Amino acid sequence: MGNPVPFEYCEVCGDDQHPCFKILDCWWEYFDVVQYLKNRLPEDQFNRLMAATPKPKITSLLELIEQARKRNA
Amino acid sequence: METKKVLLTEDEIPRQWYNILADIKMNPPLGPDGKPVSPDMLAPVFPMNLIEQEVSSERWIDIPEEVLRVYCMWRPSPLVRAYALEKALDTPARIYYKYEGVSPPGSHKPNTAVAQAYYNKVFGIKRLTTETGAGQWGSALAFACSQFGLECKVFMVRISFDQKPYRKTMMATWGANCVASPSTETKAGQQILEQYPDTPGSLGIAISEAIEAAVTDPSGQTRYSLGSVLNHVMLHQTVIGLEAKKQMEKIGEYPDVVIGCAGGGSNFAGLAFPFVYDKFNGKKIDIHPVEPAACPTMTRAPFAYDHGDTIGMTPLLPMHSLGHTFIPPPMHAGGLRYHGMAPTVSQLIVEGILEPKAYKQLDTYNAGMLVAKTEGFISAPETNHALACVVDLAKKAKEEGKEKVILFNFSGHGLIDLGAYEQFLSGNLKDYEYPAKEIEEAEKILEQYPKPQIIKSH
Repeated sequence: MGNPVPFEYCEVCGDDQHPCFKILDCWWEYFDVVQYLKNRLPEDQFNRLMAATPKPKITSLLELIEQARKRNA
Repeated sequence: METKKVLLTEDEIPRQWYNILADIKMNPPLGPDGKPVSPDMLAPVFPMNLIEQEVSSERWIDIPEEVLRVYCMWRPSPLVRAYALEKALDTPARIYYKYEGVSPPGSHKPNTAVAQAYYNKVFGIKRLTTETGAGQWGSALAFACSQFGLECKVFMVRISFDQKPYRKTMMATWGANCVASPSTETKAGQQILEQYPDTPGSLGIAISEAIEAAVTDPSGQTRYSLGSVLNHVMLHQTVIGLEAKKQMEKIGEYPDVVIGCAGGGSNFAGLAFPFVYDKFNGKKIDIHPVEPAACPTMTRAPFAYDHGDTIGMTPLLPMHSLGHTFIPPPMHAGGLRYHGMAPTVSQLIVEGILEPKAYKQLDTYNAGMLVAKTEGFISAPETNHALACVVDLAKKAKEEGKEKVILFNFSGHGLIDLGAYEQFLSGNLKDYEYPAKEIEEAEKILEQYPKPQIIKSH
């Protein structure tokens, strides 16, 4: 982004306003982000976050095309 | 007088891009259903001529005359010998950089923006949409669209839209329509604003809006444009490295080391892939993509991509010290904290052709400051990562007494990113140490996780 980013941004900038899958990578230096999220997120959401990996760009583009069509159907 | 800049004439500009897909084996991209993607599945967002490039395995692809005409506004870009930097480092290394800051938007990004605008134009497209974070890509596409008479719609993440006014002014000057995302112009944006009216936005929302704006245009004359990661983007950027090879040949030089910063991978690939081609054909050359140590993608980190467990992790502030109302202070998120690396770059790392390196934020700014004071140009914060690597390797060359030839991509100037320099100069940017012992423990945990299948090309 090239500018100051608050933690709240990273908490909602992932899919469906969930935490970004890189939130742990970006914040682990600053504070105990894992325990922090474990205390705040529902267990299944926390587990999904811990297991998250980046999607290939082409795959995510196709998902976004489908979602856009559904929203406007 | 020593020659400072190596220049090519306009008729020496490369006439073809280099397509690395001719020389490496890749797993085919898969759709959400797990089946291989067919070209027509991408047709709602890209014109077929670009989709053909995305999947092409032709080694050399002609650069259209109309694209060359626009390239010639700033290309061939100069290859510069960094004499003053060498002197400051007291190194026997000979350091050269390819200066991409000479383009109208000030970075390497128009190398693909111009090509994409052209291919959309000849396919009959009237309007392009895209998302932008810091604004570099949005401004590059705005410039490119203005050259081909296309409309340009840019969804800029709200938090950057508010903090970086000059990029949106650049886009507007080139005639683009830049709006803060989420916007009220798409259903994706409307839904988010309804739920979270004060949201700072995100790249994910912005890309959803840009795709929706392209897909739902009833005229069928709108497409979407992406500035990094994809194969055709890497292809267009290879003009950088192809020029650099010609320029080095003119002065009888060849690099021992090639360096570029890498977020999504396009400026790195642009300089490096033509040299990777030489490496495939027997040249001995070290090639380094460089990323932030704080949020790595290519180099190993405690959480990089497989988050694993956290037993024994020791961050700066442990949980028991935080308190219930703890809110961490904002951090400076540099432009290389991108969510995905180009598959071609990732593949070459897997194959051992590229050796990624990571540097800490303060080292990168210190390198940027040194280059500004010696070579004069103020570099983009992303470029500073490449500079940190150059400084590091030039010092090593001195220790080893080796006359290495180092070539790096000066991917853009930092004149619109002075806020970041201001933060650095006022001491607001910090690095954090992570104990080596804890990293070792995390590595042991990560070993339990399955690794992706590796295909080797050579």
